[in-house]
Amino acid sequence: MIIKEIKINNFRSYYGSNHLSLSKGLTLVIGDNGDGKTTLFEALEWLFDTTGENRKDSHISEKRKSEFEIGESDEVSVSITFEHDGEKEIEKSFTFERLSEDNVRTKDYKFVGYFIEGSERYSIAGDRLLNMCFEPVIRNYCMFKGEDKLNVFGKDDTALKVLVDTFSGIRDFDRLVELTSSFEQSSARAANRELQNDKKVSNQAKELNAQLNDVTNDIQSIKTELNQKKISINEFSSKLELLEKNQETSERYQAIKERIKGLKDKRAKLAAWSSCEYSTNLLDEYWILRSFPAIIKEFSAKVSALSKEKRRLDKQETERRAKEAGEREAISKIQKLANDAVPLPWNLPDEATMKEMIDDEICKVCGRPAPKGSEAHEFMCNKLNEYLSHIAAEANKNSSKEVDEKPLFPNSFIDELLSRQIKLSGDTEQEISSIATTISDRLEFITKRKAELAEVEKQLQELETEQNDLLMQSGLSAELLDKSISDLRGFFDAKSRAESRVSELETTLKFKESARAEIQEKLSQLEPTSSMTQVYQRVHTAFERITKSFSNAKEQNINNFLQMLETESNKYLQKLNKNDFYGIIRIRKTINNSARIELYSDNGTRIENPNGALKTTMYMSVLFAISQITTLKREQDYPLIFDAPTSSFGGFKEDTFYNVIDTIDKQCVIVTKDLLNIDKTTGQKALDFDTINKLSCSVYRIEKVEPFNDKDLSTIQTVVKPIR
Amino acid sequence: MATEKIYDLWASRNPQWEKRYEDSIIKNFCDYGRGATSLREDRGKVFGGGYEIFIVAFFIGLYFNQKRVLIEDTQKRKTFGQPIQYWGNLDSVKGRKAYPKLREYIFTALVARTDIDFIALEKGEMTPRRAVDMLMQTMEEYANWGFHFMEDKLTDDPNCFYKETAFLEVFLNFDANTPNEEEEFPEEL
Repeated sequence: MIIKEIKINNFRSYYGSNHLSLSKGLTLVIGDNGDGKTTLFEALEWLFDTTGENRKDSHISEKRKSEFEIGESDEVSVSITFEHDGEKEIEKSFTFERLSEDNVRTKDYKFVGYFIEGSERYSIAGDRLLNMCFEPVIRNYCMFKGEDKLNVFGKDDTALKVLVDTFSGIRDFDRLVELTSSFEQSSARAANRELQNDKKVSNQAKELNAQLNDVTNDIQSIKTELNQKKISINEFSSKLELLEKNQETSERYQAIKERIKGLKDKRAKLAAWSSCEYSTNLLDEYWILRSFPAIIKEFSAKVSALSKEKRRLDKQETERRAKEAGEREAISKIQKLANDAVPLPWNLPDEATMKEMIDDEICKVCGRPAPKGSEAHEFMCNKLNEYLSHIAAEANKNSSKEVDEKPLFPNSFIDELLSRQIKLSGDTEQEISSIATTISDRLEFITKRKAELAEVEKQLQELETEQNDLLMQSGLSAELLDKSISDLRGFFDAKSRAESRVSELETTLKFKESARAEIQEKLSQLEPTSSMTQVYQRVHTAFERITKSFSNAKEQNINNFLQMLETESNKYLQKLNKNDFYGIIRIRKTINNSARIELYSDNGTRIENPNGALKTTMYMSVLFAISQITTLKREQDYPLIFDAPTSSFGGFKEDTFYNVIDTIDKQCVIVTKDLLNIDKTTGQKALDFDTINKLSCSVYRIEKVEPFNDKDLSTIQTVVKPIR
Repeated sequence: MATEKIYDLWASRNPQWEKRYEDSIIKNFCDYGRGATSLREDRGKVFGGGYEIFIVAFFIGLYFNQKRVLIEDTQKRKTFGQPIQYWGNLDSVKGRKAYPKLREYIFTALVARTDIDFIALEKGEMTPRRAVDMLMQTMEEYANWGFHFMEDKLTDDPNCFYKETAFLEVFLNFDANTPNEEEEFPEEL
């Protein structure tokens, strides 16, 4: 079956009619996320679905639906025209109709196939035609959505059997094995019956049969246990293998883990160092006093001036008082007599006597006259004045005594300020002056720690990425890599125990089998009297040999098929990985009769976890090989349709991959977002014509019609543009 | 005669501030009016007691040497619960350190910047109460200007003080040795 054309009509984002002509080789359909790649794939899945009538409202183009008036109708359809013993067409469709504002009805589901002969078309049921030309089992190996679905044997355990059944012709063997085995059993029963009835050997036969029965039962239970142990060994082996093969990875992982732990500790320290209570430090650490030295200077100057002024005023007052006292002393000094004799006390004679003598102009002490203007009269006037001034001075002295008791400055606030000033000077002032430096040192320290912190954060992020990459690349879980040596020993011990048990069982089995062979031999050597019994015996022996042959042949057939699949797969692997390492694919039959695809290096080492691109090409090679075998067996070609199979590829690998796949002689449709370049200025994606122009395949671009409302599905429409 | 110290008289007082800063600034940055201050961090507040932002406002006014007379209507003024003598006694507050000496520095600054006739005070021609009144006025007016300054900044950018270094940066802009008397507030670092 070679698909020539695909037509899609009103299927989801494929509004109106759309068509793609496919080439016999590669057809690339390129679109970005949301452009309708998967919808194209799912349209084909819908067409190829033969499980029954399947029409969903969600298949209808929302855009088409939104245009509908009530009563209007249209059709959803997907069809392909293909070559398969002549041209054929197959179409699935249904009609949809708007009944009311919010009710759309679907009807007239059709699934029709056509034989096209010239201008004539003969119709046939769609599912019948499809099953004739594209059997379900082949379809299973033809359509793949996403990179992780490419491992055909990973999906289910019956895949190998289905493949072998379909393509190796082994099913005929199955029937023969079944048939001969039933003949063998019938003939054994018949021969036994005859032997036990034979007079001569009856007892012997009965005994041998009982022994045979026991041995057979023993063998059966040994085989069951043996099988279980083998499965366990297999499991332990693969775990051990995984751990051993990943020893290097494990060591690297542990080293990274250690470094991460160290960095996390460092980060915690740096975070503590670089945290600072900037605002409350203004108060708690007196940082607010950073600019305070100037204020202290102002305060000191003011207090010094006040103190000086106070002292000045104080001195002035003292001087004034001293002067007054001095004056009084001078006056008393003036009262000296002419002949330096000691004068009378100031209070002798008294005031009244003095006044009387002055008025009478006579000295009543010496009795001599003292007329006005005479020296004696003037002496008496002075003596009276001295008396009066003395009295006044006494009076003054009393009042000035009161002034002396009240000091000029009764308060000592300035002294309080002065002692405060003294307290502030020296160490305290120096301390405050150093606050500015303290702050700038601290800020500088924090800036440095923060820079270190950022660096540590960066390193941590890098290490964590490295750790994740390591996990991704190795495909191992962190848990497994964390396993200690004791766990490893645990696996090892368990495996050893199982192995020794297996060897015991195998010995016992051998012994039992030879015992059984002996019994069977004895049974066959019994010489019955009846010739008929002898015939039964020979017939049974013959059937036994035939059954064994068919069983062996069946086993051989499976091995041959796997061998062929392996050979074909390796041819494709080599092609797909041109100029790169690719290894050797081995397809191993597992204990439960499924298969495993594995990659080996030339020297026989298994490559546990090939990188994403190599893994993808490995699985794809197997798919191409299966398709190749299909073509050989069916004498028909079948398409391979992939949706986004290369998401793990890098740019370079992508180019090589498409170059190679372009030359493979097989119809292949790849729906992908590869080969789109981002225009750095506009952010728009444009086709990578450098690569596309080197290819010879058909290329389609699918994209959403702009503008669209990113929240309204009815504005989304995919258009298909043939590029080449 | 007077045996009291003027410092003690001053420290027993409680400065006034304009009520309008209560919601816009004090409650925004302090635990003012909410009881225990140990929950500061849980509440995302920058400071503890309301007086802490008052001190910050005071120093802003002081270093800018800018005063602003308080609103005349005494109904529109308020005081904190604690007189100055208790400010900075933070021994019971987790994660904080007491700063009792700061009160003395505030006093020092007030003496330096208040025009009191200390000679008259010393002679007994002026009462100590009058002198303390004058100190308090200086203190309140500097803080009032500081609050005004913060409000102004918050109007321009309501989040400007939520940057962890914002308050510190205000003080880093002052010269460490001489006060910036006339200088405009410089750009942030």
